[in-house]
Amino acid sequence: MNAATSAIVPPRRIWWLAGGFGVWCLALSVLYALHAVGCAFGWPTAVLRWSLVIVFIAHLLVIGWMWLKFARQTPNADAGKTGSFLQDVIVWSTIVAFASAVLALGPPLLLTTCI
Amino acid sequence: MSGPVSSQPEGAHALRLHRQLNRIWATGPGWQRLAAVNHSVIGKRMFLTSFTFFLIAGVLGMLTRVQLATPHSGFLDPETYNQVFTVHGSMMLFLFAIPMVESFAVYLTPKILGTRDFAFPRLTAYGYWCYLFGASIITVSLVLGIAPNGGWFMYTPLSSNVYSPGVNADIWLLGITFVEISALSLAVEITVSILKMRAPGMSLDRMPIFGWYILVTALMMIVAFPPLILGSILLELERAFGMPFFDPTRGGDSLLWQHLFWLFGHPDVYIIFLPMAGVLSTMIPVFANRQLVGYRAIVVAIIALAFLSFGIWVHHMFTVGIPHLALAFFSAGSAIVAVPTAVQVFAWLATLSHGKPRWGVPMLYIFGFFFIFAMGGLTGVMLAMVPFDWQAHDTYFVVAHMHYVVAGALAFPMMAAIYYWLPLVTGRTAVHRLAVPAFWLIFIGFNMTFFLMHLTGLLGMPRRVYTYRGDEGWNWLNLLSSVGGFVMTIGFGLLLIDLVVQLRFGRRVRRDPWKAATFEWAMALPPASYAFASIPHAGPQTDSVPRGELALSLARGEGYLGFARNGWQETLGVHITSGKPDQVIVLPNPTYLPLVTAIVTGGVVLGFLFKAYWLSLVLALVTFGLFVHAGSRAGLSRDHGPLPVGLGVEVPPHTEVASTPSYLAMICALFANGTLFTSLIFGTFYLWLAGGDWQKMTPPTPSWSLAFGAIVSLVIAAVSTRGSLKVVAASGKASAWMGLTAIALIAAVAAIVQMILGVTPSPREHALGATASVLLGYVAFHAGAGLLFLFSNFQRVRNGYISQRRSSDLRLTQLWVGYTLVTGIIAVGLVLALPSLVTVLGARP
Repeated sequence: MNAATSAIVPPRRIWWLAGGFGVWCLALSVLYALHAVGCAFGWPTAVLRWSLVIVFIAHLLVIGWMWLKFARQTPNADAGKTGSFLQDVIVWSTIVAFASAVLALGPPLLLTTCI
Repeated sequence: MSGPVSSQPEGAHALRLHRQLNRIWATGPGWQRLAAVNHSVIGKRMFLTSFTFFLIAGVLGMLTRVQLATPHSGFLDPETYNQVFTVHGSMMLFLFAIPMVESFAVYLTPKILGTRDFAFPRLTAYGYWCYLFGASIITVSLVLGIAPNGGWFMYTPLSSNVYSPGVNADIWLLGITFVEISALSLAVEITVSILKMRAPGMSLDRMPIFGWYILVTALMMIVAFPPLILGSILLELERAFGMPFFDPTRGGDSLLWQHLFWLFGHPDVYIIFLPMAGVLSTMIPVFANRQLVGYRAIVVAIIALAFLSFGIWVHHMFTVGIPHLALAFFSAGSAIVAVPTAVQVFAWLATLSHGKPRWGVPMLYIFGFFFIFAMGGLTGVMLAMVPFDWQAHDTYFVVAHMHYVVAGALAFPMMAAIYYWLPLVTGRTAVHRLAVPAFWLIFIGFNMTFFLMHLTGLLGMPRRVYTYRGDEGWNWLNLLSSVGGFVMTIGFGLLLIDLVVQLRFGRRVRRDPWKAATFEWAMALPPASYAFASIPHAGPQTDSVPRGELALSLARGEGYLGFARNGWQETLGVHITSGKPDQVIVLPNPTYLPLVTAIVTGGVVLGFLFKAYWLSLVLALVTFGLFVHAGSRAGLSRDHGPLPVGLGVEVPPHTEVASTPSYLAMICALFANGTLFTSLIFGTFYLWLAGGDWQKMTPPTPSWSLAFGAIVSLVIAAVSTRGSLKVVAASGKASAWMGLTAIALIAAVAAIVQMILGVTPSPREHALGATASVLLGYVAFHAGAGLLFLFSNFQRVRNGYISQRRSSDLRLTQLWVGYTLVTGIIAVGLVLALPSLVTVLGARP
């Protein structure tokens, strides 16, 4: 029965529901802080922009890696519906986090840096 | 509470079982009602209290509309108008909206998830009393004419001492913080209960969607409230002791307040919306006669919405001068947050279109929700665009948008929910004669009031003005808005009458009147104090059983724990993901302690308000003492081993397992605490970068030896808590280890206090010193609180509540001291780094 078989899904697994978006939050915080520091200290435009781009890509790579990792994982058959449910929600949350990062954090990097 | 365990479960007959359980669970009559800890009682009280504040705030809103109906109105003088609109906004958001959604969560969540109560009933009661007292302070201040008058988001420097020298702003800061303690305690309570106290078999994939909504909302509250609590503490420190965190002339920055406020304020919109979306996701399938479409997509959308809502706080600050590139992050984020919202809206529409919808009064209000919320969402996307926001900022367009979102997100689903669940609460069905005209009056009046405000705003009328000249072209719009306000008020009056009529004359309802699928209908109407006479199993075998039939079976004791044992208030704890039963949770009985503790906490607040700081300090210590006292005899005083819980299952009591609810609660509390600490670190760096004259100050020279001593002491404390646990696990006595922990914590506090006394520049002189003091004060406070944990541990060891099997107290202490060590290293390290950071500022152009 479902309840009996899904006992093997460890509670720590649910932390991954927040994994992709956790990295998204970190990316936003780091980008916002780095931009503020760069503008306050008068960094050259190119240095500031490339710093932001590198930070952005680094976070994107982490979320992308998480996406691939979770998508390749096959839910343990013993985990039953609970395992497959959590697997689906984790994968899709990560995909949505990736898309959110691309849409919300990427295009602004093309704008004038410190006006 | 302790005693011999009966070997045989007592009676199975429904009536006898009811009497037995009711004797254990019921709240006593008369004054004993003040000792209530039952979630049904507290949930109803919270609902009635928040609804009362809704009515008061509504009257205040009407007063503003009377004032603005015509130009040059003398109905309210400027000062009274300021107090009225400030309390209207604060009351609607803090004293109505959040407590209202909490009241739904408190009353409904255990029933929908198939359990008897929350994990920490005394905390529920304490939260309610804190809410009531905090809200009462604000309400009384209005009657006395000393209410907050700086707007519901209390911006600095307007709310600083220079511009608000009276107690008005203090009342807001202290009253609202008091209410937030309540919200946070309930959020921890709800999170733990949803994760650990569902019906057996209710794995996460089988959890009703309402549970997911409330779980995510509670987690959001745990993260969202601490930044505002920190902001309120810092502003009160500035107002009371002159520490200039927000004063730009002394190294502070008023925009820090805006950041801290909106870090809470924007997620708060979703904290209000998500539970109501949960309500809609529960009701719509019932009226559509089919399952909810897109359960998994909705869970993903809820998670996305929760996170995105935290990443867009700056869209309330588009006009403060932040560079365009940074604004674009928040503008884009504010636009895409509409997507997960839309996923839910389309899932509801798909459920309706693929089902066989039936009409009912709740559906009427759901229709109202769709219309109003879509309008509010669209104007939200407009305001997310920076150029448009610059035009509309601080005009009535924003007022209109906000009311469409909040009314759409909260008021209409709330009214739908009231009509849907009132039969559950009262046991009576609606008469419905007044509900329909009430709806149309509210709907028409609402749109008349607030749609026109979009136009008033676009014509340039700023918000918060108490009057206007009359030649701006706003006259007819304002007059019609005010008329609309009265139409809406008449509608709410009818609604109120309808509810009273239903309570008094409604027909007795049969079980499961809506043919729903959730567990709250599988019980007597209105519910008994214990909710379920026996706890249902969630699974295929119960899915297809009509809830009315299931109610009878459960009443006969055919589920789990269908008996009374030792006078214990028993319910089941389950494995977080699978829902497999793993412990019997024995809940505390009714007690006056939550009320007494809340009264003393109220004394702390009032002491601050009347500048009696020593009294506040003493009462704060008494409050902590009461918490320790409350914990001194909690749990079971001897080992029991596995206990039968019915249906052939045996599990140990919660005191003898590792995954005890209190451990999870501590993790949640530390998460909230960590958010507050992170906000403090953010504030430090923000002021370092934006505060005035930091580089001109003589760099502080913190003592490295004291810092080293403090950290070494904290390391010893953390290691010795581990030692205590190991000794107890080996059936030994941990007194020596606990004593070592206490000495180490005292040493840490002493070292940190010495560091605070040596902080330069003086905390009153410049934000640099104030920030360093608060960082160190945070560590000292936590080390001091660690001593309280130890005191409690000593007491409980002496009273026999800690043993080899029952060691969760020591694990909680270990968690707390470990957290203190980690945050201590960061805070002390940052204070040591401040001289270098200040020097670096010299490199700025």
